[in-house]
Amino acid sequence: MEQKLRDGAKALLEQGKVDYIIGFEPGSLKFTTTPLITRDKDDIDRLVINPFIVNNLSAYLTELEGRVGIVAKGCDSRSIVSLIQDKQIAREDIVIIGIPCPGLIDLSKIEQLAGKDRDEVDDITREGDRVVIVVDGKKQEFPITEVLFDNCLGCDMPTPSEYDILLSESSPLVTDKTSSRKKIEGLKGTSQEERWSFWEKEFSRCIRCYACRNVCPACFCKRCFVEESEPQWISPVPQWQDNLMFQVIRNIHVAGRCTDCGECERACPVNIQLRSLAKEMYDIVDDLFQFKAGMDKEAAPLLTAYAVEEAEDFIR
Amino acid sequence: MASSNKKISKRDTGKLLNEWSQEFAVFVPSRETGVATMAKWDGKDTSFLDWHRNTVIPPKANFLPAMEEMFNFQRDKEGYHIELPPQDKHKQLIFGIRPCDAKALAILDMTFSDSYQDPYYLSKRKNAVLVGVGCTKAYDSCFCTSLGISPAESTDVDLMLTDIGDEFLIEAITEAGKKLISRSRGLAEANEADETRAKASKEAAYQKVTRQLDTDNIKQRLLANLENKDYWEKIAAKCLSCGVCTFLCPTCYCFDINDELVKQQGARFRSWDSCAFPVYTEMPMENPRVEKWRRVRQRVYHKYEFYPMSFDVTACTGCGRCIRLCPVNWDITQALNNLPAKV
Amino acid sequence: MTITDISHRRKFLAQGNVYLPHIVIIEKIIDETPGVRTFHFNFKDEKLREEFSFESGQFGEYSVLGIGEAPFCISSSPTRRDHLEFALQRVGKVTNALHRLGVGAEIGFRGPYGNGVPLDLLQGKNLVFVGGGIGLAPLRSLIWNVIDNRDKYENIDIIYGARSPSDLCFKYDLDAWNKDKAVNMVTTVDKGDENWTGKVGFVPQVLEQAAPSAQNAVAIVCGPPIMIRFTFPVLEKLGFTPEQMITTLEKRMKCGIGKCGRCNIGNLYVCRDGPVFSYAQIKGFISKEY
Repeated sequence: MEQKLRDGAKALLEQGKVDYIIGFEPGSLKFTTTPLITRDKDDIDRLVINPFIVNNLSAYLTELEGRVGIVAKGCDSRSIVSLIQDKQIAREDIVIIGIPCPGLIDLSKIEQLAGKDRDEVDDITREGDRVVIVVDGKKQEFPITEVLFDNCLGCDMPTPSEYDILLSESSPLVTDKTSSRKKIEGLKGTSQEERWSFWEKEFSRCIRCYACRNVCPACFCKRCFVEESEPQWISPVPQWQDNLMFQVIRNIHVAGRCTDCGECERACPVNIQLRSLAKEMYDIVDDLFQFKAGMDKEAAPLLTAYAVEEAEDFIR
Repeated sequence: MASSNKKISKRDTGKLLNEWSQEFAVFVPSRETGVATMAKWDGKDTSFLDWHRNTVIPPKANFLPAMEEMFNFQRDKEGYHIELPPQDKHKQLIFGIRPCDAKALAILDMTFSDSYQDPYYLSKRKNAVLVGVGCTKAYDSCFCTSLGISPAESTDVDLMLTDIGDEFLIEAITEAGKKLISRSRGLAEANEADETRAKASKEAAYQKVTRQLDTDNIKQRLLANLENKDYWEKIAAKCLSCGVCTFLCPTCYCFDINDELVKQQGARFRSWDSCAFPVYTEMPMENPRVEKWRRVRQRVYHKYEFYPMSFDVTACTGCGRCIRLCPVNWDITQALNNLPAKV
Repeated sequence: MTITDISHRRKFLAQGNVYLPHIVIIEKIIDETPGVRTFHFNFKDEKLREEFSFESGQFGEYSVLGIGEAPFCISSSPTRRDHLEFALQRVGKVTNALHRLGVGAEIGFRGPYGNGVPLDLLQGKNLVFVGGGIGLAPLRSLIWNVIDNRDKYENIDIIYGARSPSDLCFKYDLDAWNKDKAVNMVTTVDKGDENWTGKVGFVPQVLEQAAPSAQNAVAIVCGPPIMIRFTFPVLEKLGFTPEQMITTLEKRMKCGIGKCGRCNIGNLYVCRDGPVFSYAQIKGFISKEY
């Protein structure tokens, strides 16, 4: 698949069909990849596909000028479609190189299973629906569902349906919808007071680095509401109430755009359980409107389209 | 031959911390808040003694918190009344600070005491005792040795502890450290064998740092590439302009100042700010760093060019947080190592 | 004369907690242009009223408590100390809040910060003031300072311009300097209106026409960045060396004392090492656009 990707990407650049290629190259730390954004065909041989291609690269599309060839997993392709629906990018400017994604490995789950930090693990290999972890020369085997990201376990579209090049036939994703919502259900089982104090603790450590917002392809605003000072919607001082409010508003803003790619939580340097908010909103949107973001590029964007026959009259 | 140093068994370290707690507010590495940080010790848990390396939140947060009240004010018939927030009179004792982070505080001291004294930072700093603990392992993002720092040695702390198996060797680095040792109970004299073990432990730790930063002529190489827009644009491309690298950098100190108002009273706060944010330098009519590559370049140059120009020290200690915690693995060592030799 | 590095002349006067504002009271408000107001103010504390001192070119941090703080130069002259002045354009949160205040309102003030214009190095010189728009604010502090010590200086040329007649600030000063026989005053606008009988043209062009001699002269330039950028080449053409040109720079500032980071140009902080710089000092930086 990697060779096919490299050949395809190189051809796109050589034939002048794209100005940029966005994909993944090996990262500088163990078990990481890093985004490769290049116009140089000599860089293309560095492109890789592996269980650690975590970033949702569509976040870069709105800032690049020209035509872009982009490597996309299922969730990424949905974000691309959502950006097209929102008219943030034009379909004809994007060449989607689709990867059927069997799910990505969550290193924090590996750390828990291994009892070691990620860089102390010798090797991680996926073998079908199993994962083999080598620590201190000792092999341990686990079901793959124990190490996939929660969002991967709930994946609605492992293989992009919108693509220009598809690197292989779709591969089956092992999902576990219950585990995917486990943290959320855990919270729902607690009292309102307990939940409130849970979120107080979570957002007390928020440092307002905005990594969650900046990794998010659905957060495409040129100027975020938090940067407005007249009126000032929330305080720039990172008090937990404002931090929580920021995230709540952000979740409302990305409702109908969020594809549950899980990047917000993964990017958070202080481990705030952000996906629990995002995924709950994702499911609420689905329940209320039977809408899943980015599944259908012909669909109207959920919260910015309005039909005359809609029941609510607040907008009229 | 007896050594001038002391030692304490790991098992008794909790007792020592309890003793110090009588005099200080003791802070230790902790994940109690949900992220590894220097938090107030609960008086019991000593699991941090098995930690090998630095915390996610750098100890700078104990001196320059993510947010801090500068003063509060009230308004009545006579006008405004400004008051300082109540100060914590307790001296801080930071236990388990790593050499990279201790060096970072020494670097921050320069900015906060240069020209104008910064009372908030300096009052906490002058009131603190640093007890360093040497690293016994390195992250694959660590590169302190490239910046002349040894992961298990420090002159920027008051006491330095070295893991020698079931015990810590304790070296007094400063006068304050010596005094603290002299009034602490339960310390044994270290012997020659302990010193040998400590030396081996330090050397082993040094060898574990594998990431290399090429610091040869770094200032000149940077200066030569100042106008190399193509290079900076290319390496800045994947940067998300979030604040992770700067906020969690132990030497980044930039801050914002904002007021909060509720009815007739309010307060002024300062909070961490970042050169990665476009709004950081935004003026009504123009923004000198609206382009991403200029912001990325600013971060690198501030650490490796401008700070050395002002204070003759690099504002980076190789702690590796910016590499490890970056959501896209933007790597400053790659950015510097790959600087074109000729532009 | 050498004024290559003005920053080294800086002084740090603040004592105690440098971030704590003093309360000052607004005594008078003057509408300069539709968006610009001048505030006359004085310290609430009697002792500070007496003791406060500053130099032309220095600035302060002004706050509407609860809204925030912003930096503005002290636009009055240290030679006229019955009150202090600052002028500001409404552009954002703090400036809007300041514009909403009336006479008698209390605001926070801390300063003075930054370096002043090196007056001792200007003595015995011909002085050429080049200003644009609200950039006259720091210049007028200096101009009045010089006029009040007129015998210490040689010729005084002032070239001042704004976008339109209604954008000219400090018209009362312009009138006074026009009438002053010891001052050569040229006022210009980018675009006139039906009542405008004066010069029309951009400041750098008008400066080139006025062609003040560089002989024993120092030019002090202050205005919008674009004006400053085009004025230096004209001055060079007129024979001014970079050491004979002084300007004040503007960057986003918060702390005012070289700590919060945002106003740097290379290793210099505009708030602490400036805002007054010689062109010799910043020439490299300006071309490189840090």
